[in-house]
Amino acid sequence: MSAPFFIGWANHLPAPLRAPLFGFALLLLAGAAALGTLLSALTDDPGGGEFLFAEGAKTLQGVVTTRPYPVLHLPDGRFVLLSGVGKTGVEADPALEGRGATATGVMLRRGEVEQMQVEPPGLVARDGAAPLPAAEPLGRWRIAGEICDGKCWNGAMRPGVGVSHRACANLCLIGGVPPLFVAQRPLAGQSILLLGGAEGGPLPPPLLDWVGLRVTLEGAVERRGGLLVFLADPASVRHAAAP
Amino acid sequence: MSHRYRPVGWTRAKILYDAVLLAAVWLYITAYMQWGPLLQRVTLPLDDARLGMQAYGSCALLLLTLALSIGPLARIDPRFLPLLYNRRHLGVITFAVALGHAFQVLDWYFAFSPTPSLVGLLGADTAYGQLRGFPFIPLGIAAFLILAVLAATSHDFWLAFLAPPVWKAIHMAIYAAYALVVAHVALGALQDARNPGLALLLAGCIATVVGLHLVAASRDRTERRAAETGWIDAGPVAAIAEDRAIIVHPEDGEAVAIFRHAGRLSAVSNLCAHQNGPLGEGRIVDGCITCPWHGYQYRPEDGCSPPPYTERVATYRLRVRDGRVLLDPRPNPPGTRVEPVPA
Repeated sequence: MSAPFFIGWANHLPAPLRAPLFGFALLLLAGAAALGTLLSALTDDPGGGEFLFAEGAKTLQGVVTTRPYPVLHLPDGRFVLLSGVGKTGVEADPALEGRGATATGVMLRRGEVEQMQVEPPGLVARDGAAPLPAAEPLGRWRIAGEICDGKCWNGAMRPGVGVSHRACANLCLIGGVPPLFVAQRPLAGQSILLLGGAEGGPLPPPLLDWVGLRVTLEGAVERRGGLLVFLADPASVRHAAAP
Repeated sequence: MSHRYRPVGWTRAKILYDAVLLAAVWLYITAYMQWGPLLQRVTLPLDDARLGMQAYGSCALLLLTLALSIGPLARIDPRFLPLLYNRRHLGVITFAVALGHAFQVLDWYFAFSPTPSLVGLLGADTAYGQLRGFPFIPLGIAAFLILAVLAATSHDFWLAFLAPPVWKAIHMAIYAAYALVVAHVALGALQDARNPGLALLLAGCIATVVGLHLVAASRDRTERRAAETGWIDAGPVAAIAEDRAIIVHPEDGEAVAIFRHAGRLSAVSNLCAHQNGPLGEGRIVDGCITCPWHGYQYRPEDGCSPPPYTERVATYRLRVRDGRVLLDPRPNPPGTRVEPVPA
């Protein structure tokens, strides 16, 4: 018997080819289902950051610091990072530095780190004196970790870290969202530090090329209330070994 | 021979082919986005958009791997040839899945920003000076654009308009697209993976494509002992079944199909005059070599289509010595009669 011959426009497969190709089709379908399930099941844990839309908008009172990024320090010692809607930061008037204010918006929370997506009426100064958390210098450090945008890390996106998220993180940071440095090991009891430039201002643009990577970075660390602020020298950035 | 162009010349076999492919894509995406999450060990679930990016992206990689594997698979085992003849449908489906991946990325990572999405796509990550952290998105965009061109030209109109050699050369860019996709994954998602799943998938895909091509190439390699100056040894006469062919790949020049019919041997170009279909994978039907792609026919002794058709392919001279077939790899002008050689 001659071997089966199939012409591309033929309506039917030759009988001897039907069984093997039917088997191949079944294998393809079963493999697709199994592989999809397996790869998805192996997905890495994106962490517990969450956008708390279900809790609705909240209004908080505290004291504002504006550098390197706006932060609301609450009377109970907690701090709330402030960002705008979408991939934008909060336009905080420098005159608000050290003043009491109310902020309204939706919260994001990951562990003990909280952030607010400030919405109208926004960040509003209020009358009355308010104690500004004292800045406590903790010296110079070289720290290994990852530069992230604070909003996605806090749960605006899950996962909100890593190289595959880097373009998104850079758009957030360019828009003014506060950057965080997620340290591989805790420093003074904390692994999450607000990141700024060496002069106390916002993130130096050259560090955008290092977002989402494991890096080491050197700079001054200071404590402001419950928050650690890392004022890093961009020239010190290096690739770090895997933890 | 002539034909009119239709969007798709549907046949029952093609409908089945596409149905199986689409079902496989649906199963994979559904499994990834619906069933897999039930087994994930996560503090909180991934965003649907991110899960979709991963599902569509990995599906496109797998489809591309399948598309590149079918060719060598069919050379190793001819039973897979029917999968090869509709491969253009697989290519178009692959492009559609890659488009799904692109939309998910644009609509998530590049949304919600005052920076326009397309500006952000090329401008948000520009660290080209470093290998670790090299921008992987432009690699994906380049692969996507290649797939778009290939999908758009996956039609008989373009094959005829561009001419088969040009069309074929353009579609060989599928290999460049595959390399770009591999780099896109390796420099992107793989850098973040803390489990071996993606690394194993990527390594498995590369090993499959490279391995199948190497095995097929080794099987294609005919013993090319120089029997006489200029002639090449095409193998034993007994290797050629009645009404079928073997395909010989000379060092220089195009592949040649050597057919046996009625106990005699004839050699013609392996490329059909219609769309460069592989004549050597066809067979003799009603005394004529019949292309497996669209059924175009040629007489084995002179490479001419039977009247009233006018297509012609090149013929070659053959000899038989000590039970082996010797081929003169220099082609005769298309339609030149060469007396068949007794096997």
